[in-house]
Amino acid sequence: MTDSAVVGRSTPFRDARAKVTGRARYVDDLKADLSVRILGSPHPHARVRSIDTRRAESLDGVRAVLTHERMPDRQIFFAVHRQSRVMDSHLRHVGDYVAAVAAVDEATAEAALDLIRVEYEPLPAVFDPEEALRPDAPRVYPEGNDYAVAELPPGEGTPDGILQEWGDPALGFEQADVVVEESYDIGSQVHAALEPHVCMARWEEDELTVWVATQTPTEFRVLLADYFAVPQSRIVVHSEHIGGGFGGKTTSRHQFIPCLLARMAPGRKVKLRLTREESQCVGRRPRGKLVARIGARRDGALTAIQLKAVFDIGAYGDFHAGSNAFHSEGGLLSYKVPNARFEAADVHTNHFRAACMRSVHVPYVAFAVESTIDLLAERLGLDPVAIRMKNMPGSGDEMPPGGYRENTGRYPDGRLDIYPGRELLGQVIERIDWRSKWKGWGQPSAVDGPRRRGIGLAYCMEYGGFWMDAGTNARVDINSDGSAVVYAAAQEIGQGTNTALCMLVAESLGIPLSDVSIFAGDSRSGAFDYVAAQASHQLTTVGHVLLRAVEDAKRQIREQAAPRWEAHPDQVEVRGKKVWLRDHPETAFPIHLLFGPIDAPLAEQFIPGITEATEGILWRLRPHVVGTAAGAKESINHLIDGEFKVNQPVVLAAEVEVDIETGIVKPLKLVTGTFPGRMINPAGVRGQALGGATQALGMALWEEVRYDEEAACYLSGGFTNYRIPRVFDLPEIDTVFLEQVDAGRQPHEGLPYGARGAGEMTAWGAVVIASAIHNALGVRLRSSPMTPEVVLNALKERAA
Amino acid sequence: MKSNTIPISFTINGEKKELEIHAGISALELIRDVLELKGTKEGCGIGECGACTVVIDGEAVLACMTLAVECEGAEVLTVEGLEDPATGALDPLQEAFIEHHGTQCGFCTPGVLMSAKALLARNPHPSEAEIRQEIQGNLCRCTGYAPIVEAIRAASGGAASD
Repeated sequence: MTDSAVVGRSTPFRDARAKVTGRARYVDDLKADLSVRILGSPHPHARVRSIDTRRAESLDGVRAVLTHERMPDRQIFFAVHRQSRVMDSHLRHVGDYVAAVAAVDEATAEAALDLIRVEYEPLPAVFDPEEALRPDAPRVYPEGNDYAVAELPPGEGTPDGILQEWGDPALGFEQADVVVEESYDIGSQVHAALEPHVCMARWEEDELTVWVATQTPTEFRVLLADYFAVPQSRIVVHSEHIGGGFGGKTTSRHQFIPCLLARMAPGRKVKLRLTREESQCVGRRPRGKLVARIGARRDGALTAIQLKAVFDIGAYGDFHAGSNAFHSEGGLLSYKVPNARFEAADVHTNHFRAACMRSVHVPYVAFAVESTIDLLAERLGLDPVAIRMKNMPGSGDEMPPGGYRENTGRYPDGRLDIYPGRELLGQVIERIDWRSKWKGWGQPSAVDGPRRRGIGLAYCMEYGGFWMDAGTNARVDINSDGSAVVYAAAQEIGQGTNTALCMLVAESLGIPLSDVSIFAGDSRSGAFDYVAAQASHQLTTVGHVLLRAVEDAKRQIREQAAPRWEAHPDQVEVRGKKVWLRDHPETAFPIHLLFGPIDAPLAEQFIPGITEATEGILWRLRPHVVGTAAGAKESINHLIDGEFKVNQPVVLAAEVEVDIETGIVKPLKLVTGTFPGRMINPAGVRGQALGGATQALGMALWEEVRYDEEAACYLSGGFTNYRIPRVFDLPEIDTVFLEQVDAGRQPHEGLPYGARGAGEMTAWGAVVIASAIHNALGVRLRSSPMTPEVVLNALKERAA
Repeated sequence: MKSNTIPISFTINGEKKELEIHAGISALELIRDVLELKGTKEGCGIGECGACTVVIDGEAVLACMTLAVECEGAEVLTVEGLEDPATGALDPLQEAFIEHHGTQCGFCTPGVLMSAKALLARNPHPSEAEIRQEIQGNLCRCTGYAPIVEAIRAASGGAASD
């Protein structure tokens, strides 16, 4: 797949030079007039009886103080129909916002916080999602703790949760020779981007300008306009360089605080930068408690899968689609099983909010299903490869088989497009040297004193990143010299989106990459992308819309050129800054002649005689061709041609060494296998596979959100007590990429050049470590992170 | 709180500075807030992440954990000082980070570059283990570190023993 000039060639990121020279300006590098500090709730659940800010307000240097009493009577309109005030008298977690001060510097603002007198009425709190569902549980919201699905209009009550079902699960379990049921408890994970949360705002004559570390700038602008009841045209959001997101930098309540304070100090730039400790408590992957039940015949053919999940989404779980539960089919359709039921509920607790995090719900589904599949295989005497090979779907398969019977997620019925899962699995086990290392269930691959080595597999159907183009538009300008400028609201957060989008345009126009630039990270571009840096969507979905914008520009050029040859526009070729009549290369002329002789002084372009017609003059007056495209309103799901689902298989394999005396798990090797379809920027795709896998290892082994109920304090507020992977922790990570495209499809029809999403594909993989530990110890761990304590307890339990 | 000022004289990125600064500020505040060199990042402010790493007298140090007054008489190098001041040419490390995708979100990048700069100054051809040893205090949430290690290896032309 290398018959292209740009696409498929590893290309340095456009902004890399700015980043390695220190010239890239992040939000905290911009000067502010006023600094903000926030007073957080000392209680996990409380009411503010009274609050007295007079002393704080009279402190020298304080410019504005905000409390729940000074909130506009409005809620933030996330896709959540729970109360989402920026500040409220009802405090729902430790650190919830009680008051905020804007002052000449942070030290003054901090000093002012000490002068605020608050009388709290502590309330009983609840932290476990299952406990929170009990009728007598403390109520995080008066109407109850189970959470409303986005689609329900306000006031229509709470839903029964999320349910996807096909076939007849009861019948499927009857038909099974073996049924395994097991429960799992998957811990939270914090996004922990290196750049702390930061937002700076300025109101000037009813116009709000915001500089914000966000991965969803379009959404933020829409929500700000709604919240402040001002037209979107009066809000400018700047988001040029963002220091990592991973889901954590989606819109959050704290971002509204500097905007509110700035309105009290017109003309001043008001900056809120959270400390590391505060940043660690803005959002987290929810904790999930799951029960998986899987049935199979003796030969390993699955007859039924049932999964029940409860997610702790904290006090304000504000994931935009309304739910951290199965917001896509990722994970649900991994196996071609005739009967299945996936049931989930999002539940409020008195923890800080859960937010979507890289691969969202997939880690939970995969952990529970893959673990249970392994246990089933062990019972049946099948090896992990065989049971997966047997039950994996393939290209063209109807998934789910027979279509959905229950479908609260409103996913479409359809067939998988290209799905080379078995081929991928074959390549991954080759790379981990499976055949020589797998010695059977209960047989470690090596034993050395107290150290046991084992290998394991995990597989999952991830989504393909191609969906929801309804919320996207794009524009490309083709200048009179044939160079191009892209206007897209896709958000660069380090993943190389801006580079990849420019590569698509350069390839499509047949021009050098250096002739394409992009105007992004600024809402004044006019581009719109509501989903933005989420759901592995930008390359595939924004890229798709962008290539349609390029086609729109080409169409205009063809229509302009065709009359020269009395030809139909479809017979005109546009490529490499040249225009010609198909099959007549001798007719080729440089594109700039369509616009007028650009080398000549401007006045000469109007000399009579060099134009053929008035129309020609009008054309020459145009500075450039503007191609635009917008997503189809109905296109919120991931179907191509109304029939084919764009998903992708992902296979992971790991080898670990476990010390049964210390409980320490050392990962020795990880192999990732993904199906990017077509790699636009291979080094960038590899970067995503490596980064995602590293976060999966962190989730599996080291990253733990801990809360001390007695001290009412989170113990994961820094990098010492919340351990993200360090360079020394990591094993060799080998990456396998399978490429295959639908050759019958134009690059702008469906997936751009066949590219599938890359961002999240390996981040769900914590379970592969559980699989390898299973092989090493003969014990299946059912929770994450798998700390030494968890390992030793499991060994003790087995001995007892 | 910071009313006591103190004179300080040092060299930063080859430029001699004589300033009157608040006695209690950190080297990070000196660099970012006083000198407005914004390339050096603050990821935690408490010595845990390595984003603020700068080179002081040849040694990679955490600017957030260093008092500004400790820079007295010292030679300080920040990311802004990596380019050749005469030609504007990038340091080989910077070139390698661009080429090998050693930077994604870029927030840890200046700190990692400065750790690597200090390493290569005293050990021009480090082994992979030595590279990993040197950057163990630099946290990166994006890359999985492998491209960073590859970039440093490329810039060093490989280990003497490789």
